[in-house]
Amino acid sequence: MRDETEQHIEQIARELRAPVSIGRELDARVMRAVRRLPRHARFGLWSRLITPRTVTVTPLVWGMLAAAVAAFAVLGAMHAGADLDRAAKPIARAFFPRPQTPAQSQRVQFVLVAPDAKKVAVVGDFNGWDASHAAYQAQHRGGGVWSVTAPVPLGHHRYSFVVDDSLWVADPTAPRVTDYDYGMPNSAIVVQEQK
Amino acid sequence: MEAGSSDAVVVARVLRGDVEAFRSLVEQYRDRYARYAFHMLGNREDAEEALQDAFVRAYRSLARCEDPERFGAWLFRILVNRCRTLGARRGRRARTFVVDEVALLGAAEEHPAATTAWREEIDRALQQLRGDQREAFLLKYVEEMGYDEMSQLTGVGVSALKMRVMRACERLRELLSEVYDA
Amino acid sequence: MSVAARTLIALMLVAPLALAQDARLSARLDKPTLIAVNAIVDSARVAKLPTAPLVDKALEGAAKGSDGQNIIVAVRQLSMQMGSAKRVLGSSATPDEIKAAATALAAGVSERDLARLRSASGKRPMTMPLAVLTDLIVRDVPIATATSLVVQLARSGVKDPELALFQRNVRADIDRGADPSVAATTRARGLVLRSSGSGNKPTE
Repeated sequence: MRDETEQHIEQIARELRAPVSIGRELDARVMRAVRRLPRHARFGLWSRLITPRTVTVTPLVWGMLAAAVAAFAVLGAMHAGADLDRAAKPIARAFFPRPQTPAQSQRVQFVLVAPDAKKVAVVGDFNGWDASHAAYQAQHRGGGVWSVTAPVPLGHHRYSFVVDDSLWVADPTAPRVTDYDYGMPNSAIVVQEQK
Repeated sequence: MEAGSSDAVVVARVLRGDVEAFRSLVEQYRDRYARYAFHMLGNREDAEEALQDAFVRAYRSLARCEDPERFGAWLFRILVNRCRTLGARRGRRARTFVVDEVALLGAAEEHPAATTAWREEIDRALQQLRGDQREAFLLKYVEEMGYDEMSQLTGVGVSALKMRVMRACERLRELLSEVYDA
Repeated sequence: MSVAARTLIALMLVAPLALAQDARLSARLDKPTLIAVNAIVDSARVAKLPTAPLVDKALEGAAKGSDGQNIIVAVRQLSMQMGSAKRVLGSSATPDEIKAAATALAAGVSERDLARLRSASGKRPMTMPLAVLTDLIVRDVPIATATSLVVQLARSGVKDPELALFQRNVRADIDRGADPSVAATTRARGLVLRSSGSGNKPTE
């Protein structure tokens, strides 16, 4: 009798062990809720990279940031302080350097705010994802602002920042692409001819 | 540079501030733990709510996860607790089962109609168990845990757990006797 | 100059480039991976697909410390996605459009929706709309909603800089806690209203 009971229970259990699937919308809801919570900041670096902060800017940095905003307005994949969003074309004409590169490339400014970084490089399919490529090493401009202006061929590209040769950071404000392949995030940039 | 991602690696990333990395943990455990939540609470909506709650709580207290390698077990404990809270809150509310719901869970291919009916019976019977008995039964027989593990998870002593499991089996046997004796 | 001579010169110009690519790959990949990747690149070349993205994909994997097997899978997948993209977009599609479309397919856009976007875009390049579509999906706007919105925007003739601004605004809204679907729909509605120049009534 006991064996029979155990058998029955095992049958029941087997039924109940069948997988139950929940839709992927749950993921989206969880992530939405989690994004609103205070970010973790055990070692500080990552959170400082992308938590908006007030940045003290010197006139030189202001110029670079304004150019960054202007470049974005034209090229569509830049970021700068939120308050500078309204700066636009007039500043672009004042600060944005004339392209010196061949017609098939555009000089693009990449900016990342990373106060604790020692080294910031731009890597992408325009430089073989090579973090040691000389032309794509960002310079620290002060106040945690890193930037580099470098040639990017016209067209659609994928890129990312590499901080301290170890931390991959997608451009937080640029269009994202999926990163299922290698598990590390990328951004997209579409470079068009300046008309 | 992290080529693979064991849970500990992902947890470390999240703790350094990479919110988006948390998503891979959600993807990994969402379906695995849906089963327990669903059977514990008796319907999909409540199960989703419990899961969502559990994940958000896990994120919030991630720094307190002592052994990130065993994030899954730690998350499961949070889920078990959420299910208890939600279950208590729902109280005596009638647990309704829609046939469609059961069918959605992927009944066996061989005899879909028969299996669906059988499944419905089991689910109904399960929901008639007392909460603590249902919990113990699911952990032992569906999640296939050992009693020591269960004790750590629930904070209940082993002998009390064994008693609950025994009672659960007896009750299920009773409730499903028609099917068996037929 | 004879055809033969011209061909020879053309080959001489191309060959160093091909060799240069190979050099980068062989410097970064181990032998079995290199062989597999080169095979995929060759097939793509025969199928008249852009090969540079495949090489880049392999280099990306190497830079990220991925293992050879994973790299091969990623490169093969990209090749398949580009093949689908080219099929849907047609032979007049530019390499950039194919790249962007492959990225969109990878994010979960269906070939049917890709075709819808192509019709809606008419003669205008699809690169930017595709990039924005991908971004919306990655930020958790449901695929059907995102596609529908971008198709609408394309149909209304919204220009690339406006699309870029749209993407930034939606991103900012989401970062502040907005529901991605609501944010995208709201911003898109505003853009379509402005684009179609519909009257003075700002009804939404």
